[in-house]
Amino acid sequence: MEGKRSQGLDLALGGLGLATLVLLYWVGSRTTTFVPPIGDLLSQIPVFLSEEAIWPDVLATVQRVFGALAMAMVAGFLAAYVMNRGGLWGRVIDRYVNLMLGIPSTIAALLALFIFKRSEVGVYFVVAIITFPFVALTLLQGLRAADRRLDEMSHVYRFGHVAHARHVAGPHLVPYTFAALRNEYAHAWKVVVLAELFAVNTGMGARFARAFDRFLLVDAMLWLLLFMLILLGTEYLLLLPAERRILRWRASAREAAAGEAPA
Amino acid sequence: MRREDAVTLGPPGTRDYIRVEGLRVSYDRENTAIEDLDMVVGKGEFVAVLGPSGCGKSTLLHVMAGLLRPDAGRIDIGGRPAGGAANGESPRIGYVFQDHRLLPWRTVGQNLSTVLRAAEVNPEEIEERIDRYLGMLHVERFRDTWPMRLSGGQRQRVSIARALAVHPAVVLMDEPFSTLDEVTARLMRQQLAELWQESGQTIVFVTHSIREALFLADRIYILTRGPARVFDVVTVPLDRPRGYEDPRLTELEGQIVARVMEVWGYGAVDVPPDREG
Amino acid sequence: MAVRAARVGPIGPERLRRAQAFVVAALLALAVWQLATFISDGWVPSLAEIATAFAEDVTTPSVYAEIWITFKRILIAFAGATSVGIALGVAMGLSRRITAFFRPIVVLGLAIPDPVYIIVAILVLGTDESSGLIAMILALIPFVVNIVVSGVRSRDRGLDEMSSVYRLGRRRYLIDVVARQVAPALIAAIRTCFAFSWKLVVLVEALTQPRGIGAQIYLSFRLLSPEHMIALALIFILVLRAVEALVFAPVERRVLAWMR
Repeated sequence: MEGKRSQGLDLALGGLGLATLVLLYWVGSRTTTFVPPIGDLLSQIPVFLSEEAIWPDVLATVQRVFGALAMAMVAGFLAAYVMNRGGLWGRVIDRYVNLMLGIPSTIAALLALFIFKRSEVGVYFVVAIITFPFVALTLLQGLRAADRRLDEMSHVYRFGHVAHARHVAGPHLVPYTFAALRNEYAHAWKVVVLAELFAVNTGMGARFARAFDRFLLVDAMLWLLLFMLILLGTEYLLLLPAERRILRWRASAREAAAGEAPA
Repeated sequence: MRREDAVTLGPPGTRDYIRVEGLRVSYDRENTAIEDLDMVVGKGEFVAVLGPSGCGKSTLLHVMAGLLRPDAGRIDIGGRPAGGAANGESPRIGYVFQDHRLLPWRTVGQNLSTVLRAAEVNPEEIEERIDRYLGMLHVERFRDTWPMRLSGGQRQRVSIARALAVHPAVVLMDEPFSTLDEVTARLMRQQLAELWQESGQTIVFVTHSIREALFLADRIYILTRGPARVFDVVTVPLDRPRGYEDPRLTELEGQIVARVMEVWGYGAVDVPPDREG
Repeated sequence: MAVRAARVGPIGPERLRRAQAFVVAALLALAVWQLATFISDGWVPSLAEIATAFAEDVTTPSVYAEIWITFKRILIAFAGATSVGIALGVAMGLSRRITAFFRPIVVLGLAIPDPVYIIVAILVLGTDESSGLIAMILALIPFVVNIVVSGVRSRDRGLDEMSSVYRLGRRRYLIDVVARQVAPALIAAIRTCFAFSWKLVVLVEALTQPRGIGAQIYLSFRLLSPEHMIALALIFILVLRAVEALVFAPVERRVLAWMR
């Protein structure tokens, strides 16, 4: 009934929320010595972005995130499959997934540093090992929730294994795969920074740490901003629209229109 | 049960106890649910609202219950505006939803006491009403049972008991029997008709079943396919008690089907499934 | 990313099978580790070295003193993050306006890497003990909020309409209708928050504090004694997982009893 007006108000309130953050930052920069003022930050942005030296590091981090996440997704799928089948190996994998769920990423990073020294492999190892158990559990949930009624349907109409996987099991898993991907995408970005901080000299995390160590706080802030921009930009402009498009057969429009509680 | 128990507002026999005037409700700029709808319900009358699926029948009940605000027009119940302002001011409503909407973590008795306490009924009377209305719906033995342990028909009985127990100005029913099996549904219709005759409660009953409307109602408001307008008002010329298989009822059903064919019959598939709230 | 609920302890053959799986998993892991030791030419500490270090650390009282210090920090951060996160999450789940205001803040909060929280907290608040704790609380809140919001959102709207028709009133609506439906999400949020907080504290202590088990782990790392680093990490992980199993699993079972 008041859809359009409401949306406008929502946007305005969201803007107000962001403005509050900026205000908080401004207060922080006024009251403490180390936080760089907003003016300095803004004036440095063009210089920072035109610096060619930043892009190899950005690219390195992007590569690590995507590579490690791909590994975690594949391994997570295999683990979920084995766990869902049960039996001794299902339970063994279940043990490992549970164990990995309890590894703090800092410890994983330090461990990787020992095992792989200061090499690229260590970063992949850390990110993959931290995100893997979450992927496995989300996909396992999907496999466990397989729709028995549709299984029956595909049995009655004599779908073969391939047709069943393609038309029933596959589409059923897609939402879960997306859920795992979306959650672990952001997670991977955050873990990669931590891993780079400890383990290597390249990448956005390492550059942030270096800027901080040399007390170039404007630079450190700009690295943080760039990081958030890339993470949120890809998440909200690529991942989410893709998910919505692929899952458009689900009637989720109602969910989106959240009502208010009774007075 | 004595007649005056359920009577809360207005003298009996008032012809325009509920008055709906020029009602218009829209979902958004393009889609209108209800367009210029007028309706009158007498005190103690059983009125059915009949329309095709997705025509906006439920929306009408939502507006009557104050869950939705209309874009234009007004609804008065017993001389008070529906969905108006604070507690005590707007008329009390009993609502039987299509699904039971009982709190699954409260027992049957607690479900009733929760709404009765909200209606500020005093404690001794709460106990008395729970016993009386659960008894009236033949579910008194489930008083201490969780709703999830009951069958669909039993849950709906509890839901009806809850609606009557608050002594509402009007009971709104939204296809309450449509999810039940046919035998249970018939039994429930039969008992609802008896209950209504004993209690003198005003009831507005939404359905898409012509036979159900003819069996239960004094008058039937037939609506058009959405946006809903009043297509016709039929006074059911049958004495009570009525028989569900009465040939006269079947004949009337045939006549109504023939009449509504032109307004309901076309485009039955192109209505978005989630239109009816 | 909610942590999976612990299952109720099974009996008989099921328990045996789980023990069997545990033994196989452990043996396999140990074999792989030993293989890594051989391949790395002793750079990766051998099982014997780790076992010695473990035995040494597990009998050192000061290790438990450090764990106790760390545990207190975990509790403070956990309590702070859950109370703020749950309050904010419930408010956001119920009101579209509040959601609209806080949504961008929560989204940004989720996108900030943990080390950044800690470093910025040190910059702004100095190197006091409290800055690490505040960094932890700030980093954890968005996760709690997210879980609680989706729990409140996914409540049965039909019951909202029922509450409105029968005029249950704000207080009774929150207690009788919302609280019961949100309980599972609240428990998930609390568990996730606890799990994240004890993992995060290692980073906080490594970066800021001279005391605490995280600091000791980092110290062993810098002193190039991986066997002690691993042993300490193992002790810490075992203790905290035991706390999770002993405290959270029974609470969860009791609160969610009506669902079964």
